[in-house]
Amino acid sequence: MTEVILRLPTRPAPARGLGAVATDVRGDLYGPLEEAFQTWRAAEIAGLDGVLAPDDPDGEEPWTVAAGVLRAGRHLRAVAEFPPSFATPVYAAKLSATLQRAAHGRLGWKVAVGGDPAVRAAQGDPVTGEDALRRAHEFLTVAKGVWHERPYTFEGDFYRVLGGGFGHPLAGRPFPTVYLSGTTPGELDLSAAHADVHLLRLGDDVGAVRAELDRRAPGRAVRLGVELSVSVRHVGQDDGPPEGVAGRWDGFASLGHTVPEGLVGTPAELAAELDALRRRGVTTFVVEARPALAEAYRLGEHLLPALAGLAEEAVAGAR
Amino acid sequence: MSVDFYWRIGMHGDQRSLTERAATRGDWEPDGPGRIAPALRGGVPDGHAYIEHMADVARAAEAAGFYGGLMPSFPFTDDPWAAAGLLARETRGFRFMIAFQPGFLNPVHAARMAASLQRATNGRVVYNVITGGGGPAQLWWGDEVAHDDRYARTSEFLHVHKGVWKERPYTFDGRFHRVENGALPDALAAQDLPEIYFSGSSAAAIDAAGRHADHYLSWMEPTAALARKFAAVREHSAALGRTPRFAVRVDVVARRTEKAAWDVVRTGFESADPAALAQWRTGDSVGAARSLSFIDGPVSGYRDLEVEPNVWGGFSLLRGGPAFGLVGSYAQVAERIDELIALGVDAFILAGVPHLEEARRVGAEVLPLVTGARRPVPA
Repeated sequence: MTEVILRLPTRPAPARGLGAVATDVRGDLYGPLEEAFQTWRAAEIAGLDGVLAPDDPDGEEPWTVAAGVLRAGRHLRAVAEFPPSFATPVYAAKLSATLQRAAHGRLGWKVAVGGDPAVRAAQGDPVTGEDALRRAHEFLTVAKGVWHERPYTFEGDFYRVLGGGFGHPLAGRPFPTVYLSGTTPGELDLSAAHADVHLLRLGDDVGAVRAELDRRAPGRAVRLGVELSVSVRHVGQDDGPPEGVAGRWDGFASLGHTVPEGLVGTPAELAAELDALRRRGVTTFVVEARPALAEAYRLGEHLLPALAGLAEEAVAGAR
Repeated sequence: MSVDFYWRIGMHGDQRSLTERAATRGDWEPDGPGRIAPALRGGVPDGHAYIEHMADVARAAEAAGFYGGLMPSFPFTDDPWAAAGLLARETRGFRFMIAFQPGFLNPVHAARMAASLQRATNGRVVYNVITGGGGPAQLWWGDEVAHDDRYARTSEFLHVHKGVWKERPYTFDGRFHRVENGALPDALAAQDLPEIYFSGSSAAAIDAAGRHADHYLSWMEPTAALARKFAAVREHSAALGRTPRFAVRVDVVARRTEKAAWDVVRTGFESADPAALAQWRTGDSVGAARSLSFIDGPVSGYRDLEVEPNVWGGFSLLRGGPAFGLVGSYAQVAERIDELIALGVDAFILAGVPHLEEARRVGAEVLPLVTGARRPVPA
């Protein structure tokens, strides 16, 4: 199974006026999240598997986006990215239980651990370094504990719960799919214990990470994913990477992307690159593409069929 | 004057009537014929999650003229932040009053959540800040902070929450929260802070409310008790240089005739479990203990719980939630509401079971009779 998730922009372009002539009927009916809402709908309609609502302190807040995404579609999964400091693990689980109930289990968690201590401090989080990893471990343990067990009691360095655990009907839904990332031993330990999907960057050694995770978590198959930027080349393109760029390109930051490394090419070329990763065991692709709405359609109409075609060839070839 | 009437959106299902205590709306009780959201179709769930019914209630309440909906929060309920995010686009002018305990959230992240939700709803987020009933429920949430300290934490949370929203860069080093150079992005900071409805009956609560509340929100109580409570809040707020506004959360059973309304209550009472009365005594919630204290003597019949005309203290026997509410004809209920307005109340959270149909009834039959005219308040 291949999963393609679109990383949403968190800062939609500012609204522009229509000029002096065109009649503008939008008025108060047209809120500041309208553009974002249309992008969520596009991802649903175009048949992507999910979207990632990034944790960007300068952008829209991820839980608000995730809830909107889940309600806007029927199939689209929403992965909310957040640091454990945002709430207690019990509250994070409770919030998620409602989203899982309303959206039939389409929620994912991308737990952001560490990062720039100054950014964390500005978010009201003084915990850093090794402590942040230990806290993330406790956070996920407690969240899964109250989700799956009742009564649930936990006593740790960061959290304590007494007689907790969800009752009917909050209990019994699938726990959100957990996405973690990183290549340090501590991050790999955390993923081995808690991740459903471990996310890499383009250029990371997929085989080595696979081996490290398997060694730490024998018998527990943590899936592998890659976060990357993509640009699907098309006729008449007047945005995206400079002309002449093709294949691997690490300049996406210049286009405002969060993920600088990525791939540029025709749908067939991109599909071939992703298929090569897929053959090495990568099943999730978290792609950043701009403008997100138009790229969602391009991914759905061009890249996904090409990727599916290659998978069919691989199956046929194996027969 | 203008009075804001909110309605309640149940976060834990609903009953099909007040006369039978069985939650047939939502999945809080087992599958069975007649249950909806999810309903069974050919023996299998139809895929309509409870959120679909919440959306129906929100749309009905908006159409009936309500200003917004309160979304309560308890361990066994769905979560109001999540529900408000899901329902953001289901109504146009209707507000979402989110109940939450500040201690469970980081104040900076909460500011981001609220500001983004303000953007998604065009400014229709309202807070019901609660601080927790204590006892086993707080430990369930993973919260060991003692009762009075929880109000100190609530106070600090709201201080930081406002600070990071309105000042930049914002730095704070407190007992419960630390922020260094925090700020919301411009587009989010430009949103209005949600109005704060603040609940809590203890001295610590009234102190914290005085500092932060736009509205001091009380459960319905006998009139004289409410008047005393409001006087205490007024006095405390005046000392802080603030003028509080008051809100009351009150259930209503209103019918064309008073008899028809009492028939509903009597039927519900006769099928209720008397042992449920004892459950009021758990937890260290001052509010719950207060409700109980207004009932004098043994309770042998439903009218023993009518502490003053049309004010009935047995609602918690008929459905989950606060004890006191109004029972009477449309005109009587409107008169009692006018009396509360005369006490200084300018916002109400009304509720009726079932919420969907009763929202339409109360909006059509009771609200038009509320005049806001001052009437003598019974002693």
